[in-house]
Amino acid sequence: MADRPVFESPVVRGYETADSGDLVLADASATTKWLVCASASGAVADRLGAPFGSSSTGAGGVIVLGSRPGEWIVLGTADAVDGAVDGLDAMDPSDHVSALDWTHGRALFRVTGPEAPRMLEKVCSLDWSDPMTPDGAVASASVAKVTCDIARNDVDGTPSYLVFCDRSFGQYLFDALIDAGDEFGLVVGPATGQ
Amino acid sequence: MLLVPCPNCGPRNSADLRYGGESHARPDPATASPLQWRGYLYLRDNPADWLRETWYCRSGCRRWFTLERNTATNEFRDPPLPGDKRGGKA
Repeated sequence: MADRPVFESPVVRGYETADSGDLVLADASATTKWLVCASASGAVADRLGAPFGSSSTGAGGVIVLGSRPGEWIVLGTADAVDGAVDGLDAMDPSDHVSALDWTHGRALFRVTGPEAPRMLEKVCSLDWSDPMTPDGAVASASVAKVTCDIARNDVDGTPSYLVFCDRSFGQYLFDALIDAGDEFGLVVGPATGQ
Repeated sequence: MLLVPCPNCGPRNSADLRYGGESHARPDPATASPLQWRGYLYLRDNPADWLRETWYCRSGCRRWFTLERNTATNEFRDPPLPGDKRGGKA
């Protein structure tokens, strides 16, 4: 495989927030992420194992999100994701399968904390309560007027959400999430990914 | 707020969707007269009653679908049920 280009985050501007708090926003845009498209039911869907609206965690900590009918987002470390998507396009010759490295095209943020659902509900019309969106739930919706993919991926039992959007909206969405989290004492955590 | 029942995503705020207008059968280009084409392209029934219409779930599943809506009451008739789409760990 060719050398990977150096990743540059869409978030280039930071803000002063509280030093510590229970609600943390982190830029995880550097995480390797692929988009896989295939039939919603078939060999590829079976291997990925995350039907629309749900997610699964596989070998090497790879997270597979069933983001739309027949579409999956695969994210994790570069090597682990490479292993997860390797050979998908040859699994079923009768299916139209595509796997695209989205790492540089999508911004990704992680919001973690007990107040994360309330913060998201300020900028998104979906119901983020536990009964409606338990750990592992995946949805696409407008967040601060930006079309996003959102996945609940709890960390040690604490509600945590992965929010994806097009890279060009990254800085705006980051700003909007800081605004939304301000009343809950949001702090900006260190960038994650690799 | 109008809640539109998307067959994939469930009830969604209409602001998350795009209205695609009345759903009409497309006439056969080989046999349609200019009058029929004009009617297909530009004329709408616009009833104050039940109407079959298309919607695009632009913020959700990004799929087009058709629904029947009463334009006088905004009630949806026999909306497609998405089933349990709450998701979770697969």
